Amino acid sequence: MRLHVLELIRFSTYAELRAERSRSYLGLIWWVAEPAMMMAAFWFVFAVVLKSSGPDYLPFLLIGLTMWQWMKSCITHGGYAIWSNLGLIRQARIPVIVFPLVQMLADTVKFFYILALLLVILWCSGHPPSPAYAALPLLFLATFLFAAGVGFCVAAVVPLLPDLRFVIEQVLTFVMFLSGVVFALDQASPPVREIIALNPVASLIDASRAILMRGEWPDAMALLKVGATSTIVCALGMAIVYKLSPRYPKLAA
Amino acid sequence: MGEVLVQLQNVGVAFSAQRRVGSGRFWALEDVSFTLRQGERLGVIGRNGAGKSTLLRTLAGILQPDRGTIRRTEASFQLLSLALGFVPHLSGRENAILSGLMIGLRQRDIVARLPAIQEFSELGDFFDQPIATYSSGMVMRLGFSVAIQAEPDVLLIDEVLAVGDAEFQEKSGHALRERMRQGQTVVLVSHSETQVASLCDRLLWVEHGRSVLEGDRDSVFEAYHRDLHHETAGP
Repeated sequence: MRLHVLELIRFSTYAELRAERSRSYLGLIWWVAEPAMMMAAFWFVFAVVLKSSGPDYLPFLLIGLTMWQWMKSCITHGGYAIWSNLGLIRQARIPVIVFPLVQMLADTVKFFYILALLLVILWCSGHPPSPAYAALPLLFLATFLFAAGVGFCVAAVVPLLPDLRFVIEQVLTFVMFLSGVVFALDQASPPVREIIALNPVASLIDASRAILMRGEWPDAMALLKVGATSTIVCALGMAIVYKLSPRYPKLAA
Repeated sequence: MGEVLVQLQNVGVAFSAQRRVGSGRFWALEDVSFTLRQGERLGVIGRNGAGKSTLLRTLAGILQPDRGTIRRTEASFQLLSLALGFVPHLSGRENAILSGLMIGLRQRDIVARLPAIQEFSELGDFFDQPIATYSSGMVMRLGFSVAIQAEPDVLLIDEVLAVGDAEFQEKSGHALRERMRQGQTVVLVSHSETQVASLCDRLLWVEHGRSVLEGDRDSVFEAYHRDLHHETAGP
């Protein structure tokens, strides 16, 4: 990739975050306040109302939601990025992969703000830092590759099939519940559990809980598998975007 | 004669007729052939919907041909686009950098030219204000000041010879004419025949997506006018 494209990606990410900050009165605070409000709502419904919780339900839920929200926002924001920038794509010769990537990087920056808050909550609630934290960079890399890969696939297809937008949110909600984000899937029958074990989102969230809650090294084999899957998904997504690139500027306005 | 920079042979470009998978296509360019050489100032003329803008975007590399061939050298082509990628909540300075990156400049080159952009755009202290606070004339002034920083081998101009109020129109027009005088290779699409006549030395006449005639300015204009006259006087 040419250097000015890398500069464009970096500056656009900065511009995206900067513009988002100045669009609202409280600006940056919303990056953390918005997910915090959502987590509070989930905690209230599942822990207080449904009493579906064990002793460690709060950290369990917060880690799951933090990781899930990051993946989800990469997939949806990145997924709509080519579609919403078609006007620009018709006017300029910019590699289209730039548009979803910028959204995903901006979401990743926001994720780190939320992660900082999450870590403070975990440390205050009896889950101190551990040497297993050394595995976090690798886990985050695999998570980003997976979310970006799915996001690229969605981004590639949405301009051709804009109706997909109505389906994606529903599919993602379904995947969230089947990935053990809000409640553990231990009660599921063994064959169902086996299928769920194939779900990379569930493996990624399991691994993050092992590290952050229990200070355990994540299951190396599972992480390796999910890392390989993520790399393949990412390469596939990029290939589809690249393959379909010449079609986007020719779509009807 | 200068070195050949690009050669189009029977080029056709098709668009999707609707935003729907499986919808039909229409050919905005059917069959265009011509050659552009170093230092030429080529004007593209033709009636509305003839495919002139599509042709420019094809030369810019934004659109890939669906048939025919384009033979290019290493030369860079850039469409003069105003306010490309501008974001309302960012300052004039930040938008200048963003837009500059989108037209293919390196960040350090744009940053070095920011004082010149600020001066040419006549924005003064507004340069550091969000462009959401600008008037449309101010946005255009900034847009032109950034766009003119691009230094491609071939500059592609689609009807943006003059923007802003009368005074800035004179200034922006002058800057472009100065560029052309310095030997910039240009492909120009304009509805103003006087403009094309004064700025271009060669013409390409396009009609219904087909190149009809390419040649020196006077002979193509003559044939074009004969055809226009023929059509209006026809049965």
